[in-house]
Amino acid sequence: MRSYAARRAVNVVMLSVTAFCAAAALFSLFFVLGYIAWRGLGALSWAFLTRLPKPAGEAGGGIANSIVDSAKLVALAGAIGIPVGVLGGVYLAEFGGGRLGALVRFCADVLNGVPSIVVGLFAYALIVVPMKGFSGLAGSVALAVIMIPIVLRNTEEFVRLVPHALREAGLALGVPRWKVVLRIVIPSAARGIVTGSLLALSRAAGETAPLIFTAFGNRYWDSGFLQPMAALPLTIYTYAISPYDDLHRQAWAAAAVLMIFVLAINATTRLALRTQAMEAR
Amino acid sequence: MKRIAILSTLLFAAPAFAGAIVLNGAGSTFGYPIYTKWADQYHAAHPDVQINYQGIGSGGGIRQITEKTIDFGATDGPMTDAQLAKGPGKLVHIPTVLGATVPILNVPGVKSLRFTGPLLADIYLGKVAKWNDPEIAKVNPGVKLPDAPITVIHRADGSGTTYSFVDYLSKVSPQWKTKVGVGTSVDWPVGLGGKGSDGVTGLVKQNANSIGYVELIYALQNKIDYAAVKNKAGRYVKGGLASVTAAAAAARMPKDYRVSITDAPGARAYPISTYTWLLVYADNPTPQGKALKQFLLWMLGAGQKDAAALGYAPLPANVRAMVKKTVEQLR
Repeated sequence: MRSYAARRAVNVVMLSVTAFCAAAALFSLFFVLGYIAWRGLGALSWAFLTRLPKPAGEAGGGIANSIVDSAKLVALAGAIGIPVGVLGGVYLAEFGGGRLGALVRFCADVLNGVPSIVVGLFAYALIVVPMKGFSGLAGSVALAVIMIPIVLRNTEEFVRLVPHALREAGLALGVPRWKVVLRIVIPSAARGIVTGSLLALSRAAGETAPLIFTAFGNRYWDSGFLQPMAALPLTIYTYAISPYDDLHRQAWAAAAVLMIFVLAINATTRLALRTQAMEAR
Repeated sequence: MKRIAILSTLLFAAPAFAGAIVLNGAGSTFGYPIYTKWADQYHAAHPDVQINYQGIGSGGGIRQITEKTIDFGATDGPMTDAQLAKGPGKLVHIPTVLGATVPILNVPGVKSLRFTGPLLADIYLGKVAKWNDPEIAKVNPGVKLPDAPITVIHRADGSGTTYSFVDYLSKVSPQWKTKVGVGTSVDWPVGLGGKGSDGVTGLVKQNANSIGYVELIYALQNKIDYAAVKNKAGRYVKGGLASVTAAAAAARMPKDYRVSITDAPGARAYPISTYTWLLVYADNPTPQGKALKQFLLWMLGAGQKDAAALGYAPLPANVRAMVKKTVEQLR
């Protein structure tokens, strides 16, 4: 047994190391947020938010089409991905006890770990090449594939949190199993499911890699989902690697816009989750 | 239900430009500034046509036009015969403008250096590794060169800029030709790789005593010092509008437009000049194909006036006449 002083010393050292690491994690978050705010907010203007891009090398122009198209892409991705994720999650939590359930869970976890650029290539091979053209549809499918495992695992967790007593109460009154799930379990977990879906949407909104070879980018208002569409992360990527100072400035401003959107979604979900946790108590 | 109907209308309705023809193109980042400029001007004159150009690199442009996922591609290095054979139809190279690949430098205290082709090759081969090497001093009399190692920067990705640069080095250095060769990406004997012209520019800016190569517009936009290169006639020439045009004038244009104009003869010719091309299918009887043909004809006429302001050289008159005939034959 080492002396008390030695143990105390180790304690102090380890405590400072963990505190330092926690501070470093916090610092990088605030550094990123602060830096984007510093570089980006100053470049924001009404014209920037409401105009179309100018040709490369000319000052001015905006990202109106990127903002609208990003919203459209993510909305369609949600329309495809959320139902699949939610229903899959309900299946896993309520009926997926067997080997099939374990397999689905495993696949969802693997899918969650697949690099997003690979998902983009999947959508490229599945939709872009056969349809002979880049399209917003392909971009949305790629984003949906990224959302599915997140929504699925989230839904499963929240459905599991619904107390067994609730289910038993329903069943004891002679309510069929499907009705118990549909009318009691899902509504009880609804808030959690919604927040999980919103988190998945915010993750999809920030993805660049799956859109490069699918949604492709567009310099104008889009002509529907079967044609290329712009997206905020894509615009940021294109502008950031361009040789123009003005486009670099616009990239920072676009990053600030994207960050505000994603933060707003995240903050809403955290708030909703906290109220639910309080109610549950 | 009604809400869903409204939502889906919002989602799928094409905005005001319904019925507009969209031409999607991609490729060369070198051409990006002028192609987007042309797209803007053409759209202003023909509101029913939108040209959506994305700079994904020459290699990407070749790949995507071969897959027919876009209406036209763009490249600064001509496609090889093997690449052309892979396409589902006959691809035509349409020269649009010309540009220069310039050596950019970041050597503290030193400005406006001069190089010969073999010297550039030796630097990129690693044979000349210090700035005060007698080979460099010989062509830069009176310049005080630092006793520092040369940091060599090149492109890491497949690029038309690389193609024109190594195409030139192969012509002037037998050792480069046998050891490294020509391509959109090669096995570099020495140096650091940067992604895209912007990556190379950034690396050169950040590393003192470094040398890289980019298209002229990147050097101008980023206000980086670029060097003069000795041409075939023995004169030191800087990349620019006049010197690139002089290089083009000296070359004989073949029927398929796949021409290299590096190491061109002519007293004022810049030796690392290149054409840049759009790639289109000879047979494209779709509305897009027809609109594309009209755009190309416009590009050869009114469009050429925009080149100079963006640092490109317009096509020589004889080449323009030749390309016009080719475009008129597109179906």
